[in-house]
Amino acid sequence: MLAYAIRRLSFVPIVFFALTLMIFAMQMMLTPTQRVITYVGSPDALKGGAAQVAALIEKYGLNDPFYEQYGRWIGNILQGNLGWSETARMPVAEALVSLFPATLELVIFAFVPVVLGAIWLGSRAGVHLNRPVDHGIRLFTVLGWSFPTFVFGLLMLMVFYGSVGWFPPGRLSQWAMVEVGGGGFRRWTGLNTVDALLNGNLPIFLDSLRHLILPVVTLCYVSLASMTRIMRTSMLEALRQDYVRTARAKGMSERVVQNRHARRNALLPVVTIAGMEVAAMLGGVVITETIFDYHGLGQFAANAAANLDFPAVLGFALYFSLVLVVLNLVVDLLYPLFDPRVRLA
Amino acid sequence: MKSWIGPSLGIALLALSGAAQAELKNPGTLVYLWTSDIRTLDPAYMADTPNTYVSINTHMRLLNYKGSEISEFVPALSTEVPSLENGLIKPGENGSISYTFPIRKGVHTHKVGVKGADGAIAWKLYDELTDQEKAAIVPGYGELTAQDVKYSLMRAILQGDSWMANAVTEMITAGKYPNIEAWAMDLAGVKTFAEVDAAGLAKVHDALSDKIKVDGDRVTIVLDAPFPATLGIMALPFATSILDEEWTRDQGDWDGTAGTWKQFHKPELGEDKLFEVENGSGPFMVEDWDRSQKKITMKRFNGYWQGPAKLERVVLRSVPEWTTRLLQLEAGDADVVTTPVEFLDEVGEKPGIKVTQGLPQVFGRSIFYIWPVSAVDNPAIGSGKLDGKGIPPDFFSDIDVRQGFNYAQDYQLLLDDVLLGKTVQLRGPTVRGIMGYRPDSPVYTYDPEKAAEHFKKAWGGQVWENGFELTAYMTEGNSAYHSALSLLQQNLARINPKFRLKIQQLQAATFADKVYGGADPSAPMAIMGWGPDYSDPGGPLGAATYYLSSTGLVGGMVGEGYRQLMRDKFDPLLKQAWTTVDPAEREKLYAKLQDMSHEYATTQFLWEEYGYIVTRDWVDGYVHNMIEYGAWDFYPISKAEKQ
Repeated sequence: MLAYAIRRLSFVPIVFFALTLMIFAMQMMLTPTQRVITYVGSPDALKGGAAQVAALIEKYGLNDPFYEQYGRWIGNILQGNLGWSETARMPVAEALVSLFPATLELVIFAFVPVVLGAIWLGSRAGVHLNRPVDHGIRLFTVLGWSFPTFVFGLLMLMVFYGSVGWFPPGRLSQWAMVEVGGGGFRRWTGLNTVDALLNGNLPIFLDSLRHLILPVVTLCYVSLASMTRIMRTSMLEALRQDYVRTARAKGMSERVVQNRHARRNALLPVVTIAGMEVAAMLGGVVITETIFDYHGLGQFAANAAANLDFPAVLGFALYFSLVLVVLNLVVDLLYPLFDPRVRLA
Repeated sequence: MKSWIGPSLGIALLALSGAAQAELKNPGTLVYLWTSDIRTLDPAYMADTPNTYVSINTHMRLLNYKGSEISEFVPALSTEVPSLENGLIKPGENGSISYTFPIRKGVHTHKVGVKGADGAIAWKLYDELTDQEKAAIVPGYGELTAQDVKYSLMRAILQGDSWMANAVTEMITAGKYPNIEAWAMDLAGVKTFAEVDAAGLAKVHDALSDKIKVDGDRVTIVLDAPFPATLGIMALPFATSILDEEWTRDQGDWDGTAGTWKQFHKPELGEDKLFEVENGSGPFMVEDWDRSQKKITMKRFNGYWQGPAKLERVVLRSVPEWTTRLLQLEAGDADVVTTPVEFLDEVGEKPGIKVTQGLPQVFGRSIFYIWPVSAVDNPAIGSGKLDGKGIPPDFFSDIDVRQGFNYAQDYQLLLDDVLLGKTVQLRGPTVRGIMGYRPDSPVYTYDPEKAAEHFKKAWGGQVWENGFELTAYMTEGNSAYHSALSLLQQNLARINPKFRLKIQQLQAATFADKVYGGADPSAPMAIMGWGPDYSDPGGPLGAATYYLSSTGLVGGMVGEGYRQLMRDKFDPLLKQAWTTVDPAEREKLYAKLQDMSHEYATTQFLWEEYGYIVTRDWVDGYVHNMIEYGAWDFYPISKAEKQ
């Protein structure tokens, strides 16, 4: 297991290096005039017009060979300098760091119910093939697939906020924002729920939970549909295997057969998909964030792209590739827990 | 057992649906949801309406506008409004004129310098000081003085970044210099600002310093010649906002000397020392500016010289999704929301929501033609040639192109279906109520045949033959702007299928960079709204000058070609109008300028701005001043449940 983990870990820097090369190569497709914005502190530096732009191109060596420019660029990144984001009015690195906790909090709360729900529903559907339970779950997943996020999200908002006033948009109520902004509340993680608990402030914890419910439910419903279908198919496949038949022939209870023999083996594809799902969520969920007035990385990335905010787009691309690399590693490390053959390979 | 859950849940939802609507939430805090965002906290750097919402509330000026009046003023940091009658406006030698402002005593900034037991000076919130600490406030550290006024005005002028700061330069030099760079170049006898040496920099600093004199508690500003808009400029909530010199220097900003000002001239946004800090003396102070959440919170300043505001806090938050804003307004979580005009009537029928309409505005919305634009790596002009895949950088230099575009717009459809008949077509730079406006002046109407006629003549027939492709820019989230551009896009394609107009929405700051952020604009076409900063159509901030002068605000951003046209055709008449004393004669000249803006098709004038606000009915006290573009002065605002 340790050798397997080391082998997988050794790939991380190589993959990340390749990704930075690709991102930089994409950037190099732009002309020096277009790229100069990623080097200056803010667009105000370009106010002087063509002469100033030419001077900046010279200053930053944007006509130098690829490898020299890549070296300088990666050097800047290693120092945390990703340029200035006009979209966020702050350095890109600072913007990513300040927005990440909001997205992470959403992902944490959405991911656990999605995975557990998908495993449970998919297993139930697989076990009860072509029976009412299976039909019900299939209908539920088809609806989830077909419901556009913005329609589902807006419906949720209109019913549970507009009509009954239970779950407001945003991250905190006004009174809670004042309290969190005040001197008595210490920011540890940027995750409102976690910070509230660490500060021993139950009202703020409950308030932040209240604000999380609608975006989490929206996110869960949409993600749950795809993962449930995969789990169902995988479960059906597992239930047809010889080892399941053998287990039944040995006289094991149906519960043990389903849970220990079939479900565990059916989990492998779900682990893979779950890893990708988390990566997608950590990349930001633009529509959910926009509808629920939840300023996270998704809105930031979308705005940056729409505004041709190159430093922010490139910074986000780097962040997202890092997320993908790390999650792939996590998924790889999880495989042996479910399938010992991976460990031996 | 479970059969009762469904019906019970339904009943509960219905029962609670009313409760969500009406209660007053967050008493003492006004939550304003908009689609805008602010750019900086430095009043000298800012120049647009969203920023005004902050500076007007956080900083004091020498004077304020009197309620909704656009030509009357009330004292603020100055204890009196200068006039000939009270002797504070005095004609001087060689045609100069001086304005004297007696400075109010005992006005504190939000943070003041207090000397500790160790002798060190610490900046502390005035509201939180004990009596003992108040006694230890270091003189000059947070109590505004005449010297602070001088420093603030000089800092803004020498920073020279915003056109509002440059307007003060123009005022002080009575129109001789549009900005500090031009003044420095003239005094140094060189052609570019880069050539101005240390002696030249010192010379312009000293010349400026000579024009702002401090005498005890009085500041006197000496203008080279009479400048009618002086008081109006001094009351605008931008570059004339007063800072505390000691605090500003403590932030690492300009030290007030001749030898260092260039280091602080036109700083990059993030490098401006006051970019994210504030210490004004207005009724509110910035408590928190969360740039990642696009939210700014202002807290009441209890030490405000006129007494504390009624509201304890004001929150400005950017919420781009209209439905979310509306639901928050209905639920009472928001008190004011930015509302698209097409939803106005519908929103007005909802209980607890107040729509105040018909607020006068002094400006219009237009599509601006910009030429020449940057030819290097500019996606907005495609191939850069008239080959059907782009346009040349000076595409709009041909009057037939501009007239073709103007005839291709369906103004009436816009007014009727998009603006719901609530306003009228813009006839030129001046709107109703401004000198030079005439209801019968010529305007363009939708006429595809005339448009085709002009397009066939444009660029020797190449436009019609080859077609074109260009990108028009707009700020995101403005549905009326999008409708205007879409309509133009469709009409152009109908006139000639080879005419392709692309529409790109950008965030305000990015839009600013593309359109007015540089010496070489990159946008060939942009939709915006610009208006004067006082009621007179002349002078640096007047409507006619803004649009039709080579040194006007619009001229400054729409390219050298446009400016040349203004120099050739409009500047002489503008000068004549500004120096003419007889109002009747002036009116004729400004009316003539309005007609000329049509004749030369300088711009596609669309509609006069329509003013309205949408609030909860528990919000009272809003005072609309059209010169401040309706920016909210939160001092008189109150929030209380209606009985």
